Parts: sequence; structure tokens; C-alpha cells
Amino acid sequence: MLPKATPREELLINLRAAYARMWVRLRGSNREVTGLVAEIGLPILTIGAYVILYRAIMLPPTAGAAVIIGGAMIAFWTNVLWNMSSQWFWERESGNLEMYLVAPVSRMSVLLGMAMGGSVNTSIRALGIVLLGIFVFQVPFQLADPLSVGLVFVLTLVALYTMGMLFASIFMLYGREAWNTANLLQEPVYFLSGAYFPRIYAPVVPFALQAAGSLIPMTIGLDAIRRLAINGESIATVWPHILALIACTLILFPLARRALNYMESLGKKEGRLTLRWQ
Amino acid sequence: MAVADFVKSARESFRVGWKIESNWTDPVLFATYQVIRPLASLLIVAFIVIIGASVGASANSAFYTGYLAWLIVGNAFYAFVLQIMLGMAILVHVDRTRYEVLKNIYISPGTLHPYVIGRGLVSVVNGAVSVILTLLFSVAIFNGLLHMNIPLNLLNVNLLMLIPAVILGIIGLLAIGYMLCAVNIVSNRMEFILGDSVSGTFFLLGGVIFPITSLPSQIKLISNVLPITFFLNAIRESFGITSMVTGDYMSNLAFLALTTLVALALGIGVFRLAEHRAKKLGLFDRKSEY
Repeated sequence: MLPKATPREELLINLRAAYARMWVRLRGSNREVTGLVAEIGLPILTIGAYVILYRAIMLPPTAGAAVIIGGAMIAFWTNVLWNMSSQWFWERESGNLEMYLVAPVSRMSVLLGMAMGGSVNTSIRALGIVLLGIFVFQVPFQLADPLSVGLVFVLTLVALYTMGMLFASIFMLYGREAWNTANLLQEPVYFLSGAYFPRIYAPVVPFALQAAGSLIPMTIGLDAIRRLAINGESIATVWPHILALIACTLILFPLARRALNYMESLGKKEGRLTLRWQ
Repeated sequence: MAVADFVKSARESFRVGWKIESNWTDPVLFATYQVIRPLASLLIVAFIVIIGASVGASANSAFYTGYLAWLIVGNAFYAFVLQIMLGMAILVHVDRTRYEVLKNIYISPGTLHPYVIGRGLVSVVNGAVSVILTLLFSVAIFNGLLHMNIPLNLLNVNLLMLIPAVILGIIGLLAIGYMLCAVNIVSNRMEFILGDSVSGTFFLLGGVIFPITSLPSQIKLISNVLPITFFLNAIRESFGITSMVTGDYMSNLAFLALTTLVALALGIGVFRLAEHRAKKLGLFDRKSEY
């Protein structure tokens, strides 16, 4: 029998596993230039359509700026859906899941690595989207406090990728449902998060819609970032957003951990962890 | 290949495709899934217009209700584009890499053509379900629930105008989908990009959520050679929506027929080239997931 690892050794091996998973993600996603170009260029098509729609209905140019930020944040949501939530599904299909399961590390460290790699990768793409959007559509920004924007942005990503960890656990045993559910969670979330609206927390938007949207960390973070980067507001006006994002992370992380343990144990009992082509 | 054999193969391919697309869940959940995405897309643009009207943009309320009617019809029928482009762009990848059956289909007595057509028709059915449900929900939500008096009466649709436009539009879209399949046969890196690229381009340039007159003049030239532009124009006219629609119904239908014909010729040509190249290089059983 192997000697039991000390807590320090256990922490170190899990951090190394997270780093290794992050490295694979960074390397894998950036070695293909076509993919990088497409992931920056494709959202511009949709963003462009909405910016032109705003012009067609005679809204102020700041609405276009809101759409560009929304489009950039959507890149993170897409990454969370397809590269976090559905990841165990892909791994099972390609035969890697069993290797993760027999590795002497916590599954959460693997998810953490995916989240870190995914957030770094997508940040590069989101920056590209914002810069290209500003260049093409010439929309105004009022960035008075870049540090506050950075803080809110990081908190949003942490909350969002923690939600991704929870989804990854729930999606673990999915077959084709993984693909379809990830598809299903695209447009409805774009709608609920107000990614393409000038703002979601406006009197004309029904309260029920605002409440449903607020269950998604991206909605809260997006509103705060828009206030800071477009309206030129100070951090004092977005402190409820900051608290809400921290609360989201604190609630979602333990939930993700429990869900992962439950789904793994269910998968073992039902013999579905290595089942392909469902 | 005799026509009867072609139809039989396409029918079997449709049956397989329909099972793959729909039997992962129960029919109610499947129908919900079919409607939620297009409905959410519609609600995004509808709320943009509603928010626009509420923040006191300079036009009157008739402009906004008229715009919403124009937008609902365009956005609903855009479901055909999404379903066909995304469905056909991923088809080769799924059958070659995931299920590993493309080689078996290719060496079977039929050819790939009826197989691709049959699978494309599944996307058409999915698109049709989305279109019908989206239109019904739109009227129920905006006129029934929100009392917005949008000038859109589904009972007044001119079917004699609608049906030819829908048939031609679908043929054109299937022909473009055919090209996407062809590109995927000879490549193994484009499957997740192609469908989104083409549907995104059509969303931007096809007059889906804003009239193409809002585009810069150089880009408008591209819009004027896309079948989607004339497809949506003709569809809107069959719904009695004539404002913000360029050209009359007959000219739009004629241009739709012309662009569809060109797409069809290109689709078949590109597919044959790809098939030939794939056979030469042994690409029909290439694995790209590892």
C-alpha cells in the first residue's frame, strides 16, 4: 500500500495537475491560428449586426459600445459551455476520462486547470473582439477607472468559471444531451444576460427577466463593467455587483464539488463513465 | 442512379438523421428545445427595439411596431439558415470522426449525395418546426400578452407567394450546405467554424434584423448576391410586409431563383471535386480526434 501523502504533498500534486491541465488547454487552443482568427472574427459578425440594428433604430452610439462588451463576454460564456461544461463528455468520447479518474489527484484540480486555461485563452480572444469592434464600429468608451474594471472582470470570470465547474459535474454522464444542452444554453443566456441590450437593469425590462438573468454571474458582471467602462461611473456604484459576484463564487464552488462527487459515484454505480456514442 | 433509388436512399438517410437528432430525449423536451433557441434570438432583437422605443429614440411608435413585424418574420425564417448551415457543416465530422461510418456510407451501393440530402432535410424539418412555433409564440407574446398591436396577422399570409419562396430558399440553402459538407470532406479543422461563419455572414448581410440599406454601399453589393436577401424579402412580402423591403415580390423571387441556381451548380461542382480529392488522398476514413 502506498504511504498516505501529507496535506502539503497533496496540495502540491493537485496544483501540478491543475497547471498541467491548464498548459494542455493553452497549448491546444493556440496552436491552430485559423481557430484563433475565427474565434475573434466570428463574434464580430453578430456584434456588427446588432450595432447596425442600433443605428437603424436611432439609438445613441454608447449602445454599440455596450454590445461590443456584451459580445466579448459571450466569448467567455461559450467557452464555459463548450470547453468546461461539456469537457467530460468530450474526454469520455475520446477515451481520456478514465485516465483522469484513475489519476491520484482531485477531479476539482483538473477542472481548475481547465478553467484557468480557458479564462486566459478567452481573455486573449475577448480583447481581440473589443479592439476589433472599437476599430471597425468606432464606438465611444469612457474608461475612468481601469483598475475597477479589471477587478470586476476578474471576479466575473471567477464566478462564471465556478459555474462552469458545476455544469461540468452535472454534464458528466450526458451523452448527446451534452451537445444539445450546451446548444440550448446559448441564445437563452444571451437574452437573459442582456449581452446584446444596452442594459438589462432598465425599467422597460420586466423584473422577472432581470431576476432570472441575475442568476447568471455574467449578467451581473456585464452590467458592472458597462457602468464602469461606458458610463464612466465609479466603483462606489457597483459594490452590490461585487458582493453578488463574490456570493455567487462562494455558493457555486461547494455545489460544484458535491455535484462532481455525486455524479462520479453515480457513474460508477451505473457503469456509464466509459460509455461512448450514447 | 435511378430516381427511385435516390429517393429511397435519401428517405433512409432522413430516417437515420431524424433519430440521431431527436431520440436523445422525449418528444416534448425535443419540441421545447427546437423552439427555445430561435425564440430567445427573437426576444433579443425584439427587446432591443422595445428598449430603443422606451429610451425615446426619435421615431414614432408606428415605426417601432412596423419594425417589429418586419423583424419577427425575418428572424423566424432565419431559423432555416441556422439549422441547415450548422447541421450540414458538422455532418461530415460527426459521421467520419465520431461515429466512424462515413467510409461505410461511401462504399455502399448508393452515393453520398442522397445521404447528404436526406440529412439536410432533417435540418429543414427542424427549421420548419422552429419557424412555425416562433411565429405563433411571437404573436402570442407581443400582441396577446404585451398588447403591442404589431401589424402581423398570421391568417392573412399569402400562401401562393410564401410556398414558392420557401421552396426556392430551402433549395438554395441546401446547396450552400452541400458546399460546407464538401469543404469538410477535404479538411479536418473547419467543422466548428464553417457553419457559424456562413450563418453569421448571412445574419449580418442578409437583412435579417436590419434593412440592407443600412449597410455601407460596398458591402451592400455582397448582400445583393446572397439568396438569403431575396428569400427574406419575398417571405416578408407574402406576409404583407412591404415597408423596408427592396424590390417587388416577383423580382425578389426571380433573383432568389437565379441565386439558388448558381448556388446549386456551385454546390454540386464543389462536392464532386471534394469527393474526387478525398478518394485520391484517402480522406474518407481520416480520424481527426485524438
